[in-house]
Formats: sequence, structure tokens, C-alpha cells
Amino acid sequence: MDDNKEARSRRKFLEDVSLLAAGSVAGSMLPTLPAFAQAKSKATGTVRVWGEPGPYGGVAVDGMNEWAAKFAPGLKFQIESLSWDSVYVKLMTDLAARRPANCISVESPIAMQLMAQGLLEPIDDVVKQVGRERLIDGAKWEYWGAWKGKQYVLPAHHQPHLLLVRQDVINELGLGDPDKWDWNDLLNAARTITEKKPGMAGISLALGRNLCTDYHFAALLHSAGGRMFDPSKQYEVVFDSPNTVEALEYVKSLLPYMPKSAVSASFLEVVDSIVTGKAAMAFYWGRPYGRAWDENKEVFKNLEAYNHARHPKTGNRSNWNDFQGWCIPKANNPYIKEVKAALAYYQTSKVWPVRYCQSLVPNVSPVYKDTAADPELQKHPFFETKKRTIDTYYTGSLKYSSSTANELLGGVNPLAGIVHGRSILAQTVQKVVIDNMKPADAAKWGAKELESVRKEHFSLVI
Amino acid sequence: MQKNEHWRAADNRIGLLFIAPFVVAALVFMVYPVLESIRMAFYYIDPLNPDAQRFAGLDNFGTVLRDPLFWSSFRNAAYWTFVSTILQTVAGVGIALLLHLPLRGISVFRGLLLFPYIVPTVVIALCWQWMLNPEIGIVNHTLRGAGIIDENIYWLSSPDMAMLSTIMLNVWKYTPFVTICVLARLQTVPTELYDAAKVDGAGVLRRFTDITLPQLAEVLAVVVVFRTIWTFNKFEEIYLLTRGGPGTSTYNLAIYSFEQSIANLRMGVGAATGVIMMLMLFLGSILYMRLFRFQDET
Repeated sequence: MDDNKEARSRRKFLEDVSLLAAGSVAGSMLPTLPAFAQAKSKATGTVRVWGEPGPYGGVAVDGMNEWAAKFAPGLKFQIESLSWDSVYVKLMTDLAARRPANCISVESPIAMQLMAQGLLEPIDDVVKQVGRERLIDGAKWEYWGAWKGKQYVLPAHHQPHLLLVRQDVINELGLGDPDKWDWNDLLNAARTITEKKPGMAGISLALGRNLCTDYHFAALLHSAGGRMFDPSKQYEVVFDSPNTVEALEYVKSLLPYMPKSAVSASFLEVVDSIVTGKAAMAFYWGRPYGRAWDENKEVFKNLEAYNHARHPKTGNRSNWNDFQGWCIPKANNPYIKEVKAALAYYQTSKVWPVRYCQSLVPNVSPVYKDTAADPELQKHPFFETKKRTIDTYYTGSLKYSSSTANELLGGVNPLAGIVHGRSILAQTVQKVVIDNMKPADAAKWGAKELESVRKEHFSLVI
Repeated sequence: MQKNEHWRAADNRIGLLFIAPFVVAALVFMVYPVLESIRMAFYYIDPLNPDAQRFAGLDNFGTVLRDPLFWSSFRNAAYWTFVSTILQTVAGVGIALLLHLPLRGISVFRGLLLFPYIVPTVVIALCWQWMLNPEIGIVNHTLRGAGIIDENIYWLSSPDMAMLSTIMLNVWKYTPFVTICVLARLQTVPTELYDAAKVDGAGVLRRFTDITLPQLAEVLAVVVVFRTIWTFNKFEEIYLLTRGGPGTSTYNLAIYSFEQSIANLRMGVGAATGVIMMLMLFLGSILYMRLFRFQDET
């Protein structure tokens, strides 16, 4: 018994040493992480941390607890998961009740709304400690949340949704290279699959009144060259445009090739459809890979991801990207100093950012160059067969990334969070696919709703 | 004489003491929220900045009454309430009559009856979501297995079916309430009335229409008022099952109020919706009582 224990601890020691050695070698080739002094804190209690479902929030909190063990022994960081569809409601109700979490991991549209509303603590000091130059090529700090010269959101990961395809089905039906597709090719592929593969939908998109639909439609809107607001003209609403109409018409043309429940689908339903093999293609983030690995190896083997299809006229590809970051509520938060120190600690560690990304490959993409280049990151079984797909998620997607919080990367948009809170994009889509409204009329309806958001919250953008 | 008065005063004090917790609870959890909602309805309030409130006069009410979504939510709420209450009442009376039969082991069924009513709505709504899942739900599986349907039914994905599904959930959960109330009343109906009717040659249907129903009239009047008020105000079942969708096909006024307050960040408008709902229910209840002359009979 004791011998076993000893053998185990020896093995563990050898593993640790070899990891350390590998880390040192790798570290010598990478940008040096900034070192900074950490002050001790006598604060006590539980620091509440909000994150979306998934293991990565918990990993970050483990890193923060490592900081607490060294520098604030009276503190314990604790993760609370918020489901995607209720994140806005939970944030708003708790902020209204003046009891927000002490640290929040949230997607850029909501983070930017909170930032512009003056609810967040600036974190330029943390950014300085983390290292401004470390940010991955192709991304800018403002994508996560900067406003009027101050940074309010610290990058946690970037997270694009791409075009997921069942490569075996695509090959079997001779549908060509999805990386070269435009919208017409995608539509044709969806139609062909639906017609030739009984029991399998061509493509799965969320069309319910929820955040997932907003994010799916935003990719098409931006690909068509459309947008909601124009930051260069005091956030004038520009949604009522031929581009929006075209994107809506495209969704309608895809509808017959989607699962019948698409009009009420959200995140989970889209993942289900692709993992269970009921759909051959989907717009989705990297999460289905983990589930397919656990539940359906055949799907995992054949599942590949590509940057979204080009718009036939504009040539634009648009990958929605969450640009998920950490932010710190300013009011009623007794742990601002400690949260800043813990965030800086975990983000400057060599170990925690890698563990963070490895906890759900390829869903959470690294945001720092040194993390992306760390050989430890690739010590994950998915890299053996899915390297191209993972690279597309991690780096190849950034060139085409966009979000409603920074439409076409043309300027920060703090109104986007409110737009998503009201599900305006999803409702616009539903006007077309459920109520059979003409796309042009739906675009007008959406524009009217956006105008009301702008009118009510104009103070946020001036 | 003085001693009697002393005891009476002491009794009153003890009575007040016993009732005090309920009065305090009612003040804190009912009266205060209602008064605060009425106050909020006259203010512009951003939940993220609750300290900066501006007087709005009747603007919030105007916003609500001009909004087409409010009126479509009202129509949905009226339909959902009317159909749910009717079905609950009919099913509740039917089940109560069955449970009133003097059969061996009937008390087990009476106990089981409470199950839907005592399980938390969140649990029920999530279970129903899975049961109604078009691809893997047990409802479609069973219907297909029994040869009743060939193609899956998309219970929550079309406006009509979604409304039907939310009504089914509501009826399933709250029928036991009607049954319990009716069963309690049935057990107090004198059996002599039935015996006399039998002697006079009245059949089952006649006994039901001439004895049972009139005896149940008062309890049904109360049950219908309560169920109407509670169903009209229902939020969690619809929100958890459909979130008001697809589209806004299952939006009711409670969801409208919630969305205005939280998603649209207009607490005042949400509160104004609540005040309008309260007035609607108050006026509806008075009208109902008058129509059925419930007050006179009691």
C-alpha cells in the first residue's frame, strides 16, 4: 500500500519535473511573462465569480484560488455558472438588486453595455501587469471592451462560431471544399444533403427567440455587409437595408433544410442535432467536439469546422466571435483589489491559461501569443486528428471575426447588449420564419426596435 | 361580569398575537410590493441605475396601452386563462366524482392526485420540455409506438402547438387543486338528498345536475375565481417552457411585464403592466361575482 503510494508520488514527481523542464525550454523561446509584486490581503469571505457553463470558468477560479492561498488566505473564489439564455436576465436582476458577483466572465456585447453604463471598474492596471503586447495577432484589446480610452474587460478567451460540417457526408455527396464555399454553395449543400440523406437535416441553425439566434443571424448580416448601427454617425440605425433583407431571405431559403424544431432552437438544440447525427452542418462554436468525443465517436471523427461561407457579392466571410472577458462590477464590490490581483496572477501564470484552454478544446481559444504557442497546449488528444479545425478556431477565424459589440470591427457598440437582452435580431428572424412577414418589412420592424433602443439609451454612446 | 370582560380582552390579545405573524407577512410580502409597484408605475426607472428615478406621470401606462405586443399578450393571456380554467374545472370535478366513490384503496389515489401540485414548477417545466422534445421525447415516442402519429409532433415549435402545450401543463398541474376543493365539498353533501332523489326515480345524470352541481356551485365559484386570477398571472410555466415563443405566440401579460422590466430595462413600464393586470383582475372578479350573485348567496 505504502509502496504503491511511494511509487505514485515518484511518478508524479517525475511527471512534474519533466513538465517543468519542458516548460522551461518552451518558456525560453516565448515572450517572457511579466513579473509583478503581489501584496498580501487580509480580506476574508467568498468572492463570487460568474461564468458561462463549462469547465473553463472553474479552471480560472482554481487559478484565482491558488493566488488566494498565497496572498489572501481568508478568501475563497467560487464559480457560479449562468446558462447562456439566462445570462442577461441574471446579470440585470442581480445588478438591479445591488448584489452582483464580484467578478464576471461575459461576452463582449453585454460587457460593453455594462462598461458604458459605468458599472464596471477600469482594469488598465491589470492589463499593464498582464502585458499589453501579449495579445494574440489579429485581435485588439478593444474587441473585449474598451471605452473612452480605458480598458474595462480583460480577455478570457475568444470564441468564434464557424461552419461545422460532417466531412464524410460532404465527401460522399461530392459537395466540394467547404472552405471555398459561398452562400449559394452552402444552400446547395444543405438542400442536397436533405434530399439525399433521409433523416438528416442539411443544416442546423438556432431560430428561437434567444441569444443563439441573435449570434447566428449576426454572422450572416455582417457577411452580407449589413449592420445594426453606424458608430461613425452617432450610432444611427442602419439595419433597414438591402443587406439585412438579403440575410433574412437567406435564412428563409435555408429553413426547409433545417430540423423542423429550428424555430424554437437555441444553443443546446443545435449541439444535439449535430452530435446525434441529425444534422450534417451547423453554425457553432467548438463545444460539440467535446460532446461528440464522449457520446458519438463516429460524428467526432468526421466533424470539421471552417470559416463561414463567403457572401457571393461582397466576398465577406463573417465568424461571430464572443470575445469573452473578465470584468469587475464597481458598485457594492468589496473585493475589487483582490479580484484584480487574482486575475493578473492567473493570466500571467504559464500553467493556468493553458489549462483554461485545454479544459474545452476547441471551444475556448487562447488570447495570448505565449499561450497559443505553448507546446503544452497541444498536449490534448483532439490535436492528433483535428489540428486544422482547432487552428481555424484558434487563429484562422480571427481574420473574419465580428460581433454585434464591434460590428465588422468598425467600432465599439455598447447598445448591443440591450439589443440582445430584447432578442431583437432573433425576433426579426422569427417575423420572417414564423409569421411569414416579408423580409423587407421585418427589417423595418427590427430597425424600429433598434431605434427605440438607441433613443432610450443614447446617453450611453455620446 | 368584570372577570368575563377581562378574559375576553385577554382572548382578544392572544388572538391578535396569533394573527400578527400573518399580518406582518402580508404587509411585507403583499401590501408593500403592491404599493411599491403602483409607485414605480409612475416613474422612469432603469434597473441598472435604480437611484436615478424620474417622475413619468402616466407615460408608462401610455407606453403599455399603445404597444401592440401588450394587446396580443392580453389576448394570449385571456385565451390561455379561459381554456385552462375551463379544462381544470371540468377535469377537476370529474376526478373528484371518481375519487368520491367508496372503493377500496381510493385513498391511495387521493394521495397520488396531489403529486403534480406539490412538485416545483421548475422541475415540472423542465421534465415537460424533455417529454415534449420532438426527437427524443417520450410523448412522441409513445404516440408513434401506439400508431397514433406517423410523423413527430413539434409541440413547442409552432405557435398553436406551443399554446396547447402550455395549457396542457397548466391543466395537469392545477387540476388537483380543483379536485381537492370539490372533493372536500362533495364529502359534506348529505347522502339523504341522493337517497330521496333515487326514491323519486332520478337517474345518475339527473342527480348530478339537480343535486351535485347546485351543491358545488359555491365552491366552484370560488375555485374559478382563484384559478382565473392565478392562471392569468402565471409566469414561470410559460417562461420555462416556451419563454413566450415561438415568436410571441405564448406571451402573456406576466411575461410582457417581466420582459419590459428586465430585458427592456423599463421597470416603470413593467410595473404599469402589473397595475393594469391588477385592475383587470379586480374588475373581472367583481363582474364575475355580480353575474353569479355569489355575494348574495353567501
